[in-house]
Formats: sequence, C-alpha cells, structure tokens
Amino acid sequence: MKIRTQPDPQPASDTETLAIQTRSLEFQWQPRQKPLAFPDIHLLAGEHLFLHGPSGAGKSTFLSLLSGMLAPVTGSVTILGTELSALPASARDRFRANHLGVIFQQFNLVPYLTVLANVTLPCSLSKLRSKATAPNTDEEAHRLLSALAIPEGLWHRKVTQLSIGQQQRVAAARALIGAPGVILADEPTSALDTDNRDRFLKLLLNLADKRNTSVLFVSHDHRLASHFHHRVELSGGHA
Amino acid sequence: MNIRLTLSLALASLWHRRRVLALVCLTLTLSISLLLGIQYLRTEVRHSFTSTVSGTDLIIGARSGQLNLLLYTVFHIGDPTNNVSWDTFQSLEDDARIDWLIPISLGDSYRGYRVVGTDARFLEHFQYGQGTALELGEGRWFEGVFEVVLGARVAREFGHATGDSIVLSHGAGRTSFSNHEQTPFTVSGILESTGTPVDQAVYVSLAGIEAMHVGWESGVAIPGRTLTPDQASERDLTPSNLSAAYAGLKQRLLTFQVQRDINQFNREPLSAILPGVALSELWRLMGQFENVLLAITGLVIITSFIGLVAVLLSIQAQRAHEISILRATGASPRLIAALQVFECVVLGLVACALALALSALLVSALGPWLQSQYGLQIRLRPLNTSEWMLLAAVPVVAGLVGLIPALGAWFRSRSITLGSAPGE
Repeated sequence: MKIRTQPDPQPASDTETLAIQTRSLEFQWQPRQKPLAFPDIHLLAGEHLFLHGPSGAGKSTFLSLLSGMLAPVTGSVTILGTELSALPASARDRFRANHLGVIFQQFNLVPYLTVLANVTLPCSLSKLRSKATAPNTDEEAHRLLSALAIPEGLWHRKVTQLSIGQQQRVAAARALIGAPGVILADEPTSALDTDNRDRFLKLLLNLADKRNTSVLFVSHDHRLASHFHHRVELSGGHA
Repeated sequence: MNIRLTLSLALASLWHRRRVLALVCLTLTLSISLLLGIQYLRTEVRHSFTSTVSGTDLIIGARSGQLNLLLYTVFHIGDPTNNVSWDTFQSLEDDARIDWLIPISLGDSYRGYRVVGTDARFLEHFQYGQGTALELGEGRWFEGVFEVVLGARVAREFGHATGDSIVLSHGAGRTSFSNHEQTPFTVSGILESTGTPVDQAVYVSLAGIEAMHVGWESGVAIPGRTLTPDQASERDLTPSNLSAAYAGLKQRLLTFQVQRDINQFNREPLSAILPGVALSELWRLMGQFENVLLAITGLVIITSFIGLVAVLLSIQAQRAHEISILRATGASPRLIAALQVFECVVLGLVACALALALSALLVSALGPWLQSQYGLQIRLRPLNTSEWMLLAAVPVVAGLVGLIPALGAWFRSRSITLGSAPGE
C-alpha cells in the first residue's frame, strides 16, 4: 500500500477515473456566519483517503456536502464524474442511493429490520445497486456478512441483539453491497476497542478494494492513517 | 418513490412498535366496532319496527288521525276515540273485496298490559316481520268464554303458565282499583315471542269481554248482577261494538279504493289506514335519536384518531435516527413521509378488520339472546354500501391523520445532515 500524505496535486484530465473531486468548497449554516472552507480533494477511483480533523472542524458538514445532503454555498463537489452540487435535492438523493455507501459512528442500523434486511436496504432503494448484486441480492449479502465475520445465526435476528462491533460490521456490509463507487465513513471505529478497530478497518478496505470502491474515512485518530493511500487535514478554518 | 419498499418498511416498523400501537389500535377497533354496531342496529331496529305489522292491508277504526289509530291498535298506546258498531263490522265482512277481518276490542288491562278482545282470526291472519305468523309456544288458543292467551312478555314477567287463573282489571293502567274479580280467566296458551307489541298484551274472546262487563253498566260491578261461567255459556254474548279491525284484501291493488270507500262510509264515520305508511311516518318522528347516536359515535372515532396522532407524535423523537439512516442510504424525504402515512393506513386497515371480526362475533353471539329477550331479530348480514363507505373512510382518515407526523418528518429530513442525528 502506498502512503501519501498529500492528495495527488495533478488534476486528472479524465474525470471518469476520479472518485471524489471538490473545488473551493464553502458552506455556511447561518447567513451572517463566516462560511466554513474545506480543502480541495482529488481522489482516484479505488483509492482510499484518510480525513483527519479535531471535533468541531466541520467533519459532518463536509461529509454532508460530499454525500449531497447539503448543497455548498460556493464551490463544487464532483463524485464519479457527476457534479453533485449542480443537481437538485431529489437527484442528489437518487445519486446517493446509487453510488454512495455511508457508515456512521454508531446507531447505523434501522432498529426494526433484521440484519439481512439492513444490509440489502440500499439494493431496495437503488435499481443500480440491485443489478450489481445480480443474480441474487441475498447471496451477495450472505457473502459480505460471512466475510465480515457475522455469525450466520444472527442474520435473521433483529439488529438490537448485536454487539457494537457486529453492528458496525453490518453497517460496513450495507455500505459495500452493490459495489458503490464511494463509501463515506464517519468515525465508524470510535466506539470500538483496538482489536476490533483494526479488524474492522482491514475488512472494510479489503472488501472495498475487491469492488474498486473508494473509501473516505474520517477520524480524529492519527494512528489509523497508515491504512490509507492519502491523508487530508481538516483544519476547520474559515474562509 | 419505491412503494414496495415503503410498504415493507412500514409493516416492519409497525411490528417493531406493536406494543405501543396495540393500544391505539384497540381504541380504534372498539370505536369502529361501535360505529358499525350502531349503524347495523339502527337499520335492523328500523326494519324490525316498520315490520311490526305485515300482511295487514288496512287498519279500520273510528274516525281519527292515522297515527292515533296506529298507536292504539298496534302499540296499545292511548285510547280509541270512538267505537265501531258490530253492524258496521258485519257489513265490512260482507264486502267482497275484503278477504279477512280481525276484530279488536280494547278497554281493559291486566297489570298494566292491554287486554285485546278478538277471535281465532287473530291467530290465523295476523302477521309481523317478513310475513311471520303468530305461534303458540305453549297450550292452545282460547276457546271458552273465560279463557285467555298471554303475550310472551306478559307470561315471562309474571311467570304465568297454562292453567293459571288471572283476574283482569277494568280500564287501562297498572293500578286499576276495579278488578273483574267475579270473572277470573284461565290461561289456555302463551304466544311465542315476536319482538312486537303482540308480546305485551293478553288476548280473550269478544264474548269474554262482554261476559266480564255484564253488571258493570254503571262503571263498577253491581253485586249479584255479574255473570258466573255457567250463566255466561247460556247468554248471547255478541258484542255491540268493537274498537278496530285489521283487514286483509283479496287484491292489494284495491287497497286505496277500499280505503277511500271506508273513509266515506255513510252510516258511521270511519278511518282506514295503511299500516306500513303509518309505521314509516311514526319512525320518522321517533327516528331522530338514531342520528344523535351516530353523531356521538363519530365523536368517539375522532377521539381515537386524536389518540393516534398523540402516539405518533410522541414516537417521532425515537424515529430521528432511523430517518437519518434512511436518508443517508438515499431515501428521499417523500419516502420518509410516505412511510408514516402508510403506517397509519395499515393501522386503520388492521383496526377495520379487527372491528369487522369483533362485530361479527358479537352479533352472532348476542343474536339468539336478543331474539329471546327482546324479540329483536339481529342476524349476520352482508354490509350494505353505506356501511362499506363508513368502513373505507377509516383508512382514508388514518392516512390523512398520518400526514401530520409525515409533514413534520418530511421537513426535518430535508435538513438532516450526515451524522447529525446519530451519536451526536
């Protein structure tokens, strides 16, 4: 694995090969507030990025911009060649369903669905991801759950019966299913102990590599950076 | 928007919250059952009421209003304005268009219930409901002068059986002081319950009425002048007048013609009414209460829907992180809102199904009891269009009610950011 501390400065002429590209992103919550400025990112498809930032640096805001849940005040977000920031909200929702996987810090799963139903949820929301798991969505979910070491006995149980580590791995399976181009992970290991954390990371990145999925991983923990191709510092600076 | 996904999510979500929602669903079920029950009962009661008399084409009495004649002949309420002479009755019997006549003679009572003087034609021709004939549950119809047949309610209330001896009172009213003690009657039979005013009367022969009034010409019994059973059998006890008569015509088509002829009868002022028309008019006067009842039930249903909204809104806080997961996975705010509406509609449908089952169970369980106690004929029948409409309104209203939390969720889910709700 190559380790680079800076994103590739060379702008890719062929945007198709770029997983994430942002340009001079700015966002403000209140009109009179100073806008938050975010670093430009160029991430090649299939490569992984570690985004480091202390609490309050605007990590959640940045991820919301990248996932299209927020629209930037200025600047642009381009994911997999599509300029997300130029799309209307409903198209951004559709794009997110089709091309993005998301893992939160905790409480990742819909409490009233089984483990399996949680994993296949993106395929129910997106025909594209459903097709990517053809011929059998459930079998792909089984493969992912097995790879992520979730015992088969839990697959048809309610998610509330799972440990936190298991829940996070089920969330990883959900993010991975249907091979989305990009996975956004918001401190998914912060609630895990060291062993579980490293295991989780290895499994996630390994499975993402097999699917040519880029992972953008946010954490305040420097030690994890070694697992990633690139590293970006989120300073939380104002423009 | 993905309807299959929304529906499956809604079902899973409802099942997950079944403990909280079971109570709301129960409230809704009970209020829908109440609505169905009242709607059902009022049609059945109206049906039962308007078929208090059937098969009788005309009721003939002294000149009076339609309702007055109906009330004192059929319902034993109020008194005849005047009598019909026996001669007139006989001339009606000679009318070729009239198939049969039932003589009715009123005036006395038995412990608050009317004594009806009539003859065997009452048993033979009187019908109620859908042309149901009267039947004797016990004993036989009266034959002797001092024999009496009891209505089912009278027999049940006073615990009478055939062979009992009873004393009738002079005049109407429960506490009459002048009893026909010299001429006791023997119960010869008891009628089956009909659920009509027939149950609330006792029946004696016209001769019996005459016999017990011999010696009562001044209004009280004059000692020594009343009849003994032996004397009665020797006397001619043909009545001189009657209170009214039920008539059946040979041809229904002639009803209005015969009615007009009777109303214009030369020798005596008479009135003839069509019992079905009079009963409908009476129901129109009394039937207002059913609308009030229905309105109250409507309020009960509104109350349960308010309860539903309260529960749904209180659940919203718990749903915040579920909604943010769905949003992050790519669900649109519309799907989030539709989820809430679907849940309410499904809840409404479940409550409707439960209410139908509950009502069917109650009707089939209570039907026989109501029949025997009150003579109300309530059987399971398919719902009519307006009842289906009422039922269908429930999930529709539930969906509209679901819009309240749905709009809230829609607004919130538009401004949700990644990772803003869960964990932070």
